[in-house]
Order: sequence, then C-alpha cells, then structure tokens
Amino acid sequence: MSESFLKIQGIRKEYGPVVAVHDVNLEVRRGEFLTFLGPSGSGKSTTLYILAGFENPTKGDILLNGKTLLSTPSHKRNIGMVFQRYTLFPHLTVGENIAFPLKVRRQSKAEIDSRVREMLRLVRLEGFEDRKPAQMSGGQQQRVALARALAYDPPVLLMDEPLSALDKKLREEIQHEIRRIHQQTEVTILYVTHDQEEALRLSDRIAVFSKGVIDQIGTGPELYANPRTRFVAEFIGDSDFISCHLLSSNNGQATISLGGKTVFDSIPVHGRPTSGSKAALMLRPERIRLGRNAGAGNGLSATVNDITFLGNNVHVTTRIAVGETLSVRLPFGHEAISGLSRGDNVHLEFDPDAAHVFC
Amino acid sequence: MLLNFDRLGWWKYVLLVITVLTAAFLLMPILFIAALSFGSSQWLIFPPPGWTWRWYAELLSDPQWLASAWTSFKIASIVTVLSVLLGLVTSFGLVRGKFLFRDALKALFLTPMILPVVVFAVALYAFFLRVGLGGTLIGFVLSHLVLALPFSILSIAGALEGFDKSIEDAAVLCGASPIEAKIRVTLPAISHGLFSAAVFSFLTSWDEVVVAIFMASPTLQTLPVKVWATLRQDLTPVVAAASTLLILLTVMLMTLAAIVRKVLKS
Repeated sequence: MSESFLKIQGIRKEYGPVVAVHDVNLEVRRGEFLTFLGPSGSGKSTTLYILAGFENPTKGDILLNGKTLLSTPSHKRNIGMVFQRYTLFPHLTVGENIAFPLKVRRQSKAEIDSRVREMLRLVRLEGFEDRKPAQMSGGQQQRVALARALAYDPPVLLMDEPLSALDKKLREEIQHEIRRIHQQTEVTILYVTHDQEEALRLSDRIAVFSKGVIDQIGTGPELYANPRTRFVAEFIGDSDFISCHLLSSNNGQATISLGGKTVFDSIPVHGRPTSGSKAALMLRPERIRLGRNAGAGNGLSATVNDITFLGNNVHVTTRIAVGETLSVRLPFGHEAISGLSRGDNVHLEFDPDAAHVFC
Repeated sequence: MLLNFDRLGWWKYVLLVITVLTAAFLLMPILFIAALSFGSSQWLIFPPPGWTWRWYAELLSDPQWLASAWTSFKIASIVTVLSVLLGLVTSFGLVRGKFLFRDALKALFLTPMILPVVVFAVALYAFFLRVGLGGTLIGFVLSHLVLALPFSILSIAGALEGFDKSIEDAAVLCGASPIEAKIRVTLPAISHGLFSAAVFSFLTSWDEVVVAIFMASPTLQTLPVKVWATLRQDLTPVVAAASTLLILLTVMLMTLAAIVRKVLKS
C-alpha cells in the first residue's frame, strides 16, 4: 500500500456548456471498497463511466499502477463493472454469461468450466448455470452480473447503483453478499450510490460528491463526526441547522451567538469564517440531551412542539427561543420523555464537539 | 373502461355483423381466385362447372412461368440480404447516433412507404433508362431495395430501441471489442427485428408489381408482371393457379415468420 494503486487526477468533463465533473481528485488503495455518494447530477456516475472508458474526460488523467488508463480502450482495460440495469446477455444461459469474458480471452474449455463453477459458488448460485436470465429474479441477475464481472480477475470492479432496482429487503441481503465477496476476493471496488445507508454499510471510505467535485472523503464515522461542508453534514446522518452569528474564530474553533443573547464557544468551524458574519450551527438530533432543568453544558431553552414515536426512537420537535425548530431523538423509554407533552418547556444541551458551524 | 364490450347490449351483434362482413370482404376475392384455379372451365366461369388440376399442370410445365418465378425469387432474395444489411447499419446510425436532423433523416428514409409508387416507378424508369439499368437484374434489385428498406429500418430500429445499450457496454467491458460485442450480443438480442426485416423485405419485392412493370423487359420479368401480362393477353385459368400459389407462399411465409418471431422473442 506504499504507492497508491488507482489515481484520479484533476478529472473534468464538459458536455457542451454543461460541466458534469469539475475537478475530481482521488487516490484509491488496493483492495479498498470506496463509494461515490451523492445526489443525481453530482458527477459520481460520470466519473465512473470515465473510469470504464465509456466517456473521455475533457481534462485530467487516471493512473492504474502508475500507468495512464485513458489511452486504453474500454475492452482492453480489464475492468469489471456491474450496471444499474440488468445487463445479462439475454440469449445466453447463466453459465454462458459468466463464460463470456473468458471465451473472449480465448481460455481453454477446461479452464472456463472450472472458473464458471468457482464463480457460481462465490455468488451462491450453484445449479443455476443452465437458466436463462429471464427466468431469474432481479437479485439473482445482479449476482450473476457480479460473477461475470469478477470472472476475469479484474484489478478494479466498478458498480453503478447495482441495487437501485431491487426492493429494500433484497437490497440489504445483497449488500451482505457484496461485502462478503469483497472480503473473499480482495478486489478493489468503486461503488456508486445515492443511498447513504448503503454507502455506510458497505464502504471502507466514502467520497461525497456535490456539483461535480468531491466535497469530502473519509470513513463513515469520520464524515459523520467531522463533516467539512454543510452538504456533507446534510447528506450523512440527520442534522438541523440554526442561523447564528459568528463572533470570533480561532484555530478552527468559533464563538457564536444565537439571537444576540446566547453565546457558545469552542465549536468547530468550517468554511471561511469572518467575524460578525452570519453562519449556520449544525446539531444532530441524537446528540442533544433533553431535560427539565438547565445543566452545565451549552444549553438552550425550548418548547416542545411535537412528539413522534418511531419504534426504537422517539422524535421530539422543539421550538427554541430564537424561533427555529430543533429536533431531538431519544431512545424509547428514556426518562426525559416520560410525562412530556406538547407545550412543555424544556432545556436542550449539547457538547461543543458535537456541534459544527458552517460559514 | 369507457367502452366495455360486455355492456354494449345489442350493439354487440351489430359489431359482430360488421366484423364478419369486413373479414368476408377481405377474404372473398382470395377464396374466389382459389376456387377458379381448380375450375374446369376455360373461361373462368363461377361457380365452376367441374374441378381439375389441369391449370396447375400447365403452369408448372411452362418454362416462361418457371423462369419468371425464378427471377422473382432471385430478386427478392438479393433484396432481402441487402435490405437487412443496409437496414441494420442505418438503424444503428438512427438509434444510437447523436446528430442534427436525426428525426428528419429517419422520416426521409421512410418516404418510399408513403410516396405514390407509380411516381417513384416513373422516376426510376426515366433514370434507369439513362444510365442503362432498365430491364436488368441490378435495376430490379435497386428499385425493390428502395421500397423494402423502410420496412427493414422500422423493424430493426424498433428492436434496437428496445435493446438496452448497457448490455452491449457490459460485453465491451468483458473484453469484447465494440464490433465483437455487437455481433455476439446485440445481434442475437435483436434477431427478432432482423427476421421481421427479412420477411417484410422479401415479401415487398416478391409481390411488387408497379415498379416491376416499368423495369421488366421481354427476357426479364417477375412473377407478378407475368400474371399481369398474361391477364392482358388471354384470360386463362393458369393465371388463377399462379395467383393461388403466390398467395399460398405468402401465407406460409407469414405463418413461419410469426412462429419464428415468437421463438426468437422468448
């Protein structure tokens, strides 16, 4: 892992006047499961298609083991890919589908047969080799597509929202399969999704895409605990934003005031802090403590607006003094909730490092 | 539903009568000609006074009829091959290509379907006379190709539009060159479209008469032209026999096409 395995350098893609990808830079480690997470139109799929060779970047380079990939046509890149839509060859059986890349590579029949059996075992579809794609469920088809893409031992496997056509339960089941297959094969996976839960569940690291650039890259916990932009904070986990004023900032920590009265200090600040300017204070519902009386930490008084029971959690919506709403999530049965009802005055508390200020 | 058949009341029976009459109107001439071809009368009298195979025997022993049938078959076969090949590359361009006036170009390719055939025939006749293609096999093939191509393009472009390009992309990433991916994956997947194109192209040429009359020479005429010319000279039941065989062949081809298409699509 000394030298980076796959390097994306300053990739830019324009379609006429539209810039789909602004400037994407990324280093991927060998064997890593890296997810491109972002809303549609953020450039994550375009970046993946450039890696596959279906699109050429307007600017930038992609290096695999130090050598550029861009001069190699798609069919010689030796990259595996699972698509969003079902792409099994409809006239071939499952076995023939998995054998296809091996036949193209002119491998011997014995080699192909044993590899097909091995791949079917990997995706747990032994006994299905003579089925036609049309006779299989969507989940099974995507598993065959995965087996076909891995059959020729590609150094990199691209996955473009492969589970988006499946229902939730099946999706979770196949997420486990993908995780297991990744651990078993140690293939490097670049995975595109717009589903944060999927990204968190699968990935070693997540690259959050927004408007054609990577806003932040890191492990799930890193992105959750230390979002560097408001977009990342909004996209990973739940969050509320309260407008505030920045009084001063020092060393990445800010002192802010809410409605000119309440003052908090030592809160991590991101962006370009300018004293006296407006900013947004981010708080996560599950990191706020709710009590009847004021405590020692940073506190806000609020009125209970609504209480929603969500199974294992209870969601309390409150209105704070400055007039904005703030949500608090507490585990079911938490003592603070018993007897709580709409209109009650409560006290909200949070630790400075659980909050963020975005300028 | 707005129009529920079961709730139409007595209108149901009116519809039934109209349907039966329409079907009869379409089928009667065909049944009539088939009956006449077995009639013993020299003068195409209906109902026939007796039944005979004589006209079929005469037809099949006449070298002129056989020659024109062979000519028709030859032209239709060449037209079929060329029409499917050209239709295939044209469809790829029309479906996959991204260029200005693509829809206009597609409409242009389909104009032979709506243009009055006789106008087209006269134009081709004048042009072919000038370049010396009139009355030649190449002339026949080219003119029928123009008529057949729209059907070919419609069938193949339709099949190609229904084919997800990601499947071809997947084949390319698997290591197949773009051409190889098309041959090994895309073509088998759109084979029902190719087959339809072949059948329509063959039939377009096989029973085309207007252009063929202009193209024909004394030594080179297709079966429909022979039928037409014979009718003008003498009204023999051999024409009825030839027509019946033409119809039979067409029906067989269409039935086969329907079966094959069903198999290919599943």
